Amino acid sequence: MNDLFTPFHYDYMVKAIMVSGLIGGVCAFLSCFITLKGWSLMGDALSHAVVPGVSLAWLLGLPFSVGAFVAGILAALSMGWVKNHSRLREDAVIGVVFTSFFALGLLLLSLYPSNLNLRTIIFGNILAISDPDILQVLIISALSILVLGVKWRDLLLYCFDENHARSIGLNTRFLHFLLLALLSATAVAALQTVGACLVVAMLVTPGATAYLLTDRFGKMLVIATITGTTCGVVGAYASYFFNGSTGGCIVVLQTLVFLVVLVLAPKHGVLAARTQRRAAAAS
Amino acid sequence: MPDTTPPPSIEVTDVTVAYTNGHIALRDATFTLGAGTICALVGVNGSGKSTLFKAIMGFLRPAKGHVRIAGATVEASRKRKLVAYVPQSEEVDWTFPVSVWDVVMMGRYGHMNFMRIPGADDKRIVQECLERVGMGDFKDRQIGELSGGQKKRVFLARALAQRGRIMLLDEPFTGVDVQTESAIIELLRALRGEGHIILVSTHNLGSVPEFCDQVVLVNRTVLAFGPTDQVFTEDNLSRAFGGVLRQFHFESSTIQENDGRTVKLLTDDERPLVFGRGGHLEYTNRQGREDLVNERAKEAGE
Repeated sequence: MNDLFTPFHYDYMVKAIMVSGLIGGVCAFLSCFITLKGWSLMGDALSHAVVPGVSLAWLLGLPFSVGAFVAGILAALSMGWVKNHSRLREDAVIGVVFTSFFALGLLLLSLYPSNLNLRTIIFGNILAISDPDILQVLIISALSILVLGVKWRDLLLYCFDENHARSIGLNTRFLHFLLLALLSATAVAALQTVGACLVVAMLVTPGATAYLLTDRFGKMLVIATITGTTCGVVGAYASYFFNGSTGGCIVVLQTLVFLVVLVLAPKHGVLAARTQRRAAAAS
Repeated sequence: MPDTTPPPSIEVTDVTVAYTNGHIALRDATFTLGAGTICALVGVNGSGKSTLFKAIMGFLRPAKGHVRIAGATVEASRKRKLVAYVPQSEEVDWTFPVSVWDVVMMGRYGHMNFMRIPGADDKRIVQECLERVGMGDFKDRQIGELSGGQKKRVFLARALAQRGRIMLLDEPFTGVDVQTESAIIELLRALRGEGHIILVSTHNLGSVPEFCDQVVLVNRTVLAFGPTDQVFTEDNLSRAFGGVLRQFHFESSTIQENDGRTVKLLTDDERPLVFGRGGHLEYTNRQGREDLVNERAKEAGE
């Protein structure tokens, strides 16, 4: 029994569990907008595109989150520019731009090693997170929660019906960049927890899970946030016993929850759909 | 509610719209609409109907010419939420987790503070608008769980809740049952009576004389505009539709004199399906169907 409490005896474990929970929750809240807007691929792209910013921030003596955030926004702007000035489809544009950024990041990090090593950036290492980095995560999370709390209805309308939003005088260009900025910021915050490769899971899976469970956006936000936070906390906690990657633990847990919901969701689950088909055939 | 705002109007003057790839969607388009009208915007796909809509909503900046709404710029009209847009059903994501109530409430967003927290007034208006379109009982449904006609009515309610004096409807009768169609037309007539301008984009020619008092005919420019009976001439329509227009000429068809006035015409807005006396199928062209014509002539002689 006492064994179950051992992780709490270690300062680094307590920090890891709390930071993972916080980031899990913030990413999950945002994931509702990302999944409904159809920006999952964009989330993946931005989380990879922030990497060169980490290296450049180190070279310039800035906090890594500032550099990463700027790199993310630059990547998003480049994608928008290339898409508007070429005949390429969006997925091709995203593919070209984010791999270029990521490659540049790899090159820079190999030439000029920074305080965060390559492995940490790509796969995350929450157990070794430093206090200044925790502070950065806290600031990013607080700002994101504040902005989302104030603007979530506008963002929802923007995701649902951009034309209507525009016609009643909402600044849709601003909302577009706000959502991109939030996406970059949370990708940066999640970088150390699960790493660039798995950030997209944090930004998509909880929203996808919640979407299968409800037809109301408000409930979707609540369900996603609870799922994301719980998976962050439990995943980090469980990683102590598995002695495995924390990021891996968190994302595998999120996937397990998603799979259970995919099959068992009362209305939109695979089993429910089968029952409905049978009922339709019988009637 | 007393209204102190100037009466709505739409003035489109010499508008040319070019897209960034150089394609000119609309050239020198001009028309004006005053308060209290249901006007059809008629043209084939790609004739510039949606471009014209976008220009009126201020989403596209004309390369030349200008659009004025109630005497002011489109930007000013957007701030005043004057123009309400009812989208085509295909443009809406019906799996989106929002209820009927949520969607109609979106019509009120422009009137709320920056947090968009609905007040008692907003709730009352949303309820009224839902009842006006006969959707009061469905307010808690997810939007995907509605029939085609109900879906349309929800978005009409949203436009009503916005309290815009100008309504743009994009193909409002696609996928809508006949009953809902007449209910919608009834509602539009009432709104016209209240001084609204209703601009309906459609390629459904048959319904236009039924409920539109004015028509704007477009084909890369405005070919003609004005009262329906003056604009809806065969000459104008063939200019607007060119070879696309489906025709059924009774004199060259298999219809005989003795079919008289019993000829019945059904259409799904494409080619009409014509039945003669006694429910005979009729064909557009006599050629190749001489035996049929002879048979009919024999019947007439009996």
